Amino acid sequence: MSDVIEEKIKNYRTAPFDARFPNTNQTRNCFQNYLDFHRCNKALSDKGQDVAPCDWYQRVYKSICPMSWVAKWDDQIEAGSFPGKI
Amino acid sequence: MGSAIFPLIATLPCPLLFPLNLFYSLQLVPLFIFIGGGTVMSGAYLLRLAMGPHVSWNRNGNPEPWNKTEPTQQHKFYSVNMDYSKLKKEGPDF
Repeated sequence: MSDVIEEKIKNYRTAPFDARFPNTNQTRNCFQNYLDFHRCNKALSDKGQDVAPCDWYQRVYKSICPMSWVAKWDDQIEAGSFPGKI
Repeated sequence: MGSAIFPLIATLPCPLLFPLNLFYSLQLVPLFIFIGGGTVMSGAYLLRLAMGPHVSWNRNGNPEPWNKTEPTQQHKFYSVNMDYSKLKKEGPDF
């Protein structure tokens, strides 16, 4: 399973089509992947597993999200004021 | 405004088969058609939002309903040239 993900991360070009967000507005796609990355990190490190598969979500949100949003959310996470549920 | 129609009606070739009061209120029917149609369409859109995985209605019970759907499910109302038999893309966890 994880080598499939490694393969996909190695061959990554851009964020693939996501049927949950089919329209032009990809805001929710960006936010969802950001949340999924942090949730994945949290869940896998709680279980003691390697967090390398979570890099997929990071690649996707870095492709889609504006850098200012990512910087703002990272600051909010450090300050403890991030509004999403992680 | 309606009384301006009266001279026009007086020149109609056929005899009037209904009283003029009825004619004046029948002029309002297109208004009801358009208002009724607009109400139906907005109600139908609200129903679509309520039934589908588009909006999060219950923040505590069901926070992200679009995450509970299959990757092959179509969320758009009408899509052109899209083959929805795709694969799910990431590391399943949590």
